Amino acid sequence: MKEKNLSRRHFLGLVGAAGGATAVYQTAMAMGLMQETGPVAMLALQSAGPAGKKVAVLGAGIAGLTVAYELERAGYEVTIIEASHRVGGRNLTLRHGDRVDEMGYDQVCNFDDDPEMYFNAGPARIPGHHHRVLHYCKELQIPLQIKANFSRPAYKHDPERFGGKPVLMSRYVADARGFLSELLYKAVDKNVFDEPLSAEDRERVLQFATGYGDLNSKGKYTGTRRGGYKSGGFAKPAEHHPIMDFGELLDSKFWAGGLTNSENPDWGEPLMEAVGGMDNIIKGFVKNIKRPILTNAQVQSIQNRADGIDIIYNHKGQRHKFSADWCFNSIPTHFMQGIPNNLSKEYKAGLASLRPGNFFKIGFQMKERFWEREGIYGGITSTNQKINQIWYPSHGIHGKKGVVLGAYAFWDQSKFFERMTPDERLRFAADCGEKIHPGYADYIEAGVSIPWGRMNHMMGCGTSWSPEARDRYYKMLQQPDGRHYMIGDQISYHTSWQEGAFASAEVALLDLDQRVRAASSTSRKG
Amino acid sequence: MNAARITFVAVSVLALTTLARAEGELPIPADEFVYCTVCHGVQLMGNPTIEAPRLSGMESWYVENQLRAFRKGWRGKHEMDLIGMEMQPMAAALSDEQVKEVSAFVSTTRSDAPPSTIDGDADKGRTHYSTCAACHGVRGEGNIALGSPALTGLNDWYLVTQLRNFRDGTRGSHAGDTYGMQMRASTRLLPDDEAIQDVVTYISTLQEQ
Repeated sequence: MKEKNLSRRHFLGLVGAAGGATAVYQTAMAMGLMQETGPVAMLALQSAGPAGKKVAVLGAGIAGLTVAYELERAGYEVTIIEASHRVGGRNLTLRHGDRVDEMGYDQVCNFDDDPEMYFNAGPARIPGHHHRVLHYCKELQIPLQIKANFSRPAYKHDPERFGGKPVLMSRYVADARGFLSELLYKAVDKNVFDEPLSAEDRERVLQFATGYGDLNSKGKYTGTRRGGYKSGGFAKPAEHHPIMDFGELLDSKFWAGGLTNSENPDWGEPLMEAVGGMDNIIKGFVKNIKRPILTNAQVQSIQNRADGIDIIYNHKGQRHKFSADWCFNSIPTHFMQGIPNNLSKEYKAGLASLRPGNFFKIGFQMKERFWEREGIYGGITSTNQKINQIWYPSHGIHGKKGVVLGAYAFWDQSKFFERMTPDERLRFAADCGEKIHPGYADYIEAGVSIPWGRMNHMMGCGTSWSPEARDRYYKMLQQPDGRHYMIGDQISYHTSWQEGAFASAEVALLDLDQRVRAASSTSRKG
Repeated sequence: MNAARITFVAVSVLALTTLARAEGELPIPADEFVYCTVCHGVQLMGNPTIEAPRLSGMESWYVENQLRAFRKGWRGKHEMDLIGMEMQPMAAALSDEQVKEVSAFVSTTRSDAPPSTIDGDADKGRTHYSTCAACHGVRGEGNIALGSPALTGLNDWYLVTQLRNFRDGTRGSHAGDTYGMQMRASTRLLPDDEAIQDVVTYISTLQEQ
């Protein structure tokens, strides 16, 4: 009989039959067929084996819901225990009448009762390389649309420069590049380098500088149409913006924020968002998870046993004990020191080494889409004021109203807003917006602020890993401790991103799959 | 051997029932007060990661006093008291009745004594403590008549923070806060950080006895 060479696909099929999803995944990785950033393999998990099928999932955010969804499909019985009144974790879209459960300031979102009036208070952007998010959006049939992020017709604003007036982002980009290119041109032209460039290389770099900065034939930056039209250009001759003062451009620290944000791959164009609100991803999971999800159920204790794990939780004024075979825990790590547990000393030390990150957002409902009259259709204005950014919605174009992001503060900056009352925050952000769009405050009809560091059952967003903690504890926390798996974006290199949460769930599920297969083969032998 | 086994079984059964009863007795917070346990931990056992102190079993009269102090802005309004500022709006949102209810809940909570984390000189601390004992009691048991809370069962790191806050005027510098002002004056007897560490180390030995 003639032997045939195995095709790669056939080979992987054989591996799958012998070792399951984990083996295919790992073999494919080893063969270089998949990259960590490549398309996500379907998790074909082995059905629950003799090691048990009762699963407790703590927390109904992205990671918890992913685990529940995948394990149910493999025949496990999953109980989701969620402390908050709602499902979704930080994937939160606010609409008319929604409760904003800030500790000390319980509020209700006062946007109009209109499906277009929504605000993504948590994740709001999906880049194309977040393959796991996109995989589940596809599988759960969540429609996506393009979300503008970097926007040339939006502004860069510095209250201390250019008379405190906002400057078109297109002018910033064009002039910054023009000036830098001119400097490069001069340096190369005069051959000021320690090791002179060859004539050929010089010529190439000069060409590059000319093209990159739109320099004239003498290598000088004299302005460019790239900065945008000041007037005309269609029926009348075009008038372009004059060059800005380079000194003032430098003083404005043009390179910090705004200009280079879209160079970050996570913010690189084009980005996407779920049509109608990011929480459609959550709704997609909930629709496809069979077992009811317990909300307002707060975990009181987590105890590994030799052959299982006990979870005690409070629900409706009663204390309940749930004995599971496995536990997937997405409770924020910074709460774990306040929950009795018998995890190993080293594991506890790892959890205690992490600190909560923080984000702050404001959503304003505007009675008119005034930004569209300025030629802005989605995207971000960047300002040196404490609000950092204003986002214009990519949905509802030419509608009557729209919801704008009125502030986006990161990490330690968030504390500034947290220490205010909700009303003070909105007023502060309105004043900042006024400096960019005169009349801004008058357009505001409704507003809501979300300080993640003060949100009930959350008290943070993202996780701060010191390099030492990453070095010492990350691999360990990715591994289970007994029957307990720690999951969530917190156990990833992409904390505060949905993709990080999906990735952590995937790692935990593949580990479980391996254990289940090992246990099954042992029991078969026995 | 049989007798030994029977005893062992009996002890185990007893241990199990005790555990079960203890579990059953743990108070469950009313829905409106669950958020206290989000920061301060299950049974208000404390959470050092977010610097939320242990409150388990704290005297309800003292909890009431402090919640009122937060409400009035005597605590949690000083620009240096960043953690107190996180607490302040929680207390401000409580009605008079809720202050009473939640204080009663706090006093019923139970958790293990907190581990010691401060390594000072307990002997030196004992000397410093002799003055503290006048109000807080020789065993750190507190004295309601003087408005002095018990000091046992508190996180040592929290005692250090608060002693520093009193010393620096971050706490106890508001005119209306009579007890706080008294405490602030008393911290002058602790000359430096080392003295604070020592006295707190000594206080920790009180809860061990």
